[in-house]
Amino acid sequence: MSFYPFGGGSSQQQAAVNAQNVAMAEHELEMITDTFYRIVDSCYKKCIPPKYIDAELNKGESVCIDRCVAKYFEVNTKVGEALQKKGQQA
Amino acid sequence: MQMVQDSCIFKSALSGVLGFGLGGLFGMFFSSFEMTPYNPAVYEQPMKQQLKATAKDMFQRSSSMAKNFGIVGALFSGTECIIEGYRAKNDLYNGAAAGCITGAILAAKSGPQNVLIGCAGFAAFSTAIDYYMRRE
Repeated sequence: MSFYPFGGGSSQQQAAVNAQNVAMAEHELEMITDTFYRIVDSCYKKCIPPKYIDAELNKGESVCIDRCVAKYFEVNTKVGEALQKKGQQA
Repeated sequence: MQMVQDSCIFKSALSGVLGFGLGGLFGMFFSSFEMTPYNPAVYEQPMKQQLKATAKDMFQRSSSMAKNFGIVGALFSGTECIIEGYRAKNDLYNGAAAGCITGAILAAKSGPQNVLIGCAGFAAFSTAIDYYMRRE
């Protein structure tokens, strides 16, 4: 017999919803971290030749990395859109 | 701060200032060999006049060389930075192209043949120096 029916029920509901949110947030964090490492790896391989004369990035390399990251995200978006369209068609 | 230091305008201005300073020093050094309007009558005059004439020649020589070196430095560095920013690569071709453009601009008043010679010469010089600096 509780005098707080909504309090008890909603706190249980909150706990379940929060667990789901937390799982989603964890999954999203994993995806973002994975994307980050893929970008770093791919753009490092493409833009930075294995000649280590100077420790700092010179102008060509930093411009290349800017462009590489921008292209990666754009490719990501386009592929996502194409996939979504395919999903809607099928 | 890093972005400002990486920008082409900053690099060009820095090269211009350094070229200006270096050109001033070179001008003072070269003026010690002889005075440019060769005038032996100067050496008959009293000491103070000689010093004034020498100082004037030194100042003229060093300021003209400083201006030339400054312009060359700013031009070369600016064009190299722009070309490198466009290509997004860092190799010897940037210096060669920038040298060609700078040599061509410097020789622009002397006719088309001199423009080609200036381009080739400055490009070769710049590539040689770059190659030497990049050896591991």
